[in-house]
Amino acid sequence: MSILAYNGGAMVAMKGENCVSIAADRRFGIQAQTLATNFEKIFEMGPHLYVGLPGLATDTQTVMEKLRFRKNLYELKENRPMAPKVFSAMLSHMLYEKRFGPFFVEPVVAGLEPKTYEPFICNMDLIGCINQPKDFVVGGTASAQLYGMCEALWEPNLGPDELFETTSQALINAFDRDAISGWGATVYIIEKDKITIKNLKTRMD
Amino acid sequence: MSLALRPSFPDYESVSKHNNFNPYSDNGGSVVAIAGDDFVVVGADTRLSAGFSIYTREQSKLFPLSANTVLGCSGCWCDTLTLTRILKSRMQMYQQEHNKTMSTTACAQMLSIILYYKRFFPYYISNMLVGLDDEGKGCVYSYDPVGHCERRTFRASGSAGALLQPLLDNQIGKKNMLNAKEEPVSKEAALSILKDVFISAAERDIYTGDSILINIITKDGTTEETFQLRRD
Amino acid sequence: MMNPPAFWQNGPAPGNFYSFPNMQPQMKPEESRQHSQGPVTTSTSILALAYDKGVIVAGDLLASYGSLARYTNCPRIFKVNNNIILGASGDYADFQYVKEFVEQKIITEECLDDGLFLKPKSLYCWLTRILYQRRSKMDPLWNNFVVAGIQDGQPFLGTVDKLGTAYTDKVICTGYGSYIATPLLRDAADKKPQLTLDEARAHIEKSLEVLYYRDARSFPKYQLGIIDVDQGVSIEGPLEISQNWNVAYSIKGY
Repeated sequence: MSILAYNGGAMVAMKGENCVSIAADRRFGIQAQTLATNFEKIFEMGPHLYVGLPGLATDTQTVMEKLRFRKNLYELKENRPMAPKVFSAMLSHMLYEKRFGPFFVEPVVAGLEPKTYEPFICNMDLIGCINQPKDFVVGGTASAQLYGMCEALWEPNLGPDELFETTSQALINAFDRDAISGWGATVYIIEKDKITIKNLKTRMD
Repeated sequence: MSLALRPSFPDYESVSKHNNFNPYSDNGGSVVAIAGDDFVVVGADTRLSAGFSIYTREQSKLFPLSANTVLGCSGCWCDTLTLTRILKSRMQMYQQEHNKTMSTTACAQMLSIILYYKRFFPYYISNMLVGLDDEGKGCVYSYDPVGHCERRTFRASGSAGALLQPLLDNQIGKKNMLNAKEEPVSKEAALSILKDVFISAAERDIYTGDSILINIITKDGTTEETFQLRRD
Repeated sequence: MMNPPAFWQNGPAPGNFYSFPNMQPQMKPEESRQHSQGPVTTSTSILALAYDKGVIVAGDLLASYGSLARYTNCPRIFKVNNNIILGASGDYADFQYVKEFVEQKIITEECLDDGLFLKPKSLYCWLTRILYQRRSKMDPLWNNFVVAGIQDGQPFLGTVDKLGTAYTDKVICTGYGSYIATPLLRDAADKKPQLTLDEARAHIEKSLEVLYYRDARSFPKYQLGIIDVDQGVSIEGPLEISQNWNVAYSIKGY
């Protein structure tokens, strides 16, 4: 079994009209055994910048701490917020530094560009290969299921409410077909002047 | 040292050197089936592939077993050829012994037994048997390679099974929808969902594409339909 | 990837408590039968294309021993009867074995003198069963066969590989041909669904040439098998691949 699937988890981010969403399940487990159902895998990295780190839970937290440290240094030195694009490049470099002994996370970045409020999403593999599509990105152990859901449900120019509905339905139905993801979900809708965080009730088995 | 006297140190041996022949191959393909009250639709893509090669773009993976029973197969193609041949002859033997056609439910049981018979050298196939049961209701039986069998109203299997099944849960099973209960779908709705999910699968699964062959089974018999998918 | 070591990994095998490396030489238990492990003397691609009134099959005459161009006159396309041409790539010895019993089958059938002849679909199906049975014994015949023929006035083209994987199509290529020639021939067949014999032949010859430039196990002498509704079976050859290496000087950089 892959280390990436040791703890389980599902993650998705989508672009909408002047908004982006990022969502993940809340399970923390060791292989088939569920240990907690309030585990956070999405982290706020700035006013309009979120990163999700599905994969090995210990690396989720280590990578998050490293990112926060580097992002804070950048902001102290530059005296301006870090743009999602810059953040992703930094993360990608950080992962590639460990090319032959990687952190077992498949990051998903979602946010709005600081000045233009242009939606931004990207994901990368565990050694930092960036993928930046126009529609949606997925990660974690339910990625096959998420691809199937997103490919059918996503459409261009979704408003914040529709985006929330689409993201939630894609995520929940996908992780209901994955034995090591689920047990609740968190959805973040990121708009220019509003962040909406919703915890979803889902089936708990 | 002569060959016969060569000492054997199993602990010091690396990977076994002999017999690296693999009798199985993954030839891809996806099958989706949706059952209704008085019909069942089943669709399979027509791409036969291995690795990064497309063997052919027009290979039917649906095998009619009787007037109201169809089997859809994906996985190892050489096993599929063999299994379907055995099933065809067993259908004929049954017909001639009992002077009646085997019912869908009996076919389903027989398939499970035939698969389990090869438990330790299995047919590497994801099977989906669809048809009308004794009351004329649509039914879908899905199998694992060694004969575990389950009756459902809808199912996706094969290389894009993981992509498609949650979508069917949502669109047909009405899962995670507020104030919505699962109710039998109409034939038209089933057909349109079937085509939609295959379009999605062809986007992300390289082993699904080219076109789909659809069989619609009702009490009046089986009709066929094809639908183009992307060919890249 | 990160599995814990197996329990008792470094210890002696059960029932062999004192088997240490430099003690008595132990006999290995008699293994079950040694099976064929892989192809030995091999031939490369077969190309086949169905046209409006028949099928054209091509293959070169080389049988290689690893990278050595060992035997340079090994025909591997043959006429089975007036309905069928059989072509093969892969292990040449296995091909000769199959050829022998296919020919025996034809002789036996001719002795019956019932006016019936083996049809391409029957041979195709039969080969599928033989190859599947051998793969199930973990002792495969290491070949790709291409069956070309005419059945009920229609061209037939099918292939079987060493596992018994079988399919029919208008374009079939084996070996390197499946990567290099298949795209060229499919393109031709898609652009004009009903090719004439001359067109099909031109496409096959061009594909052979391209393949000869890039497949290191190919050879410029080849055979062409043509089975036509009107003209029947003909095996032409040895023919020579037209070649022009002027382009070779422009290829550099890798």
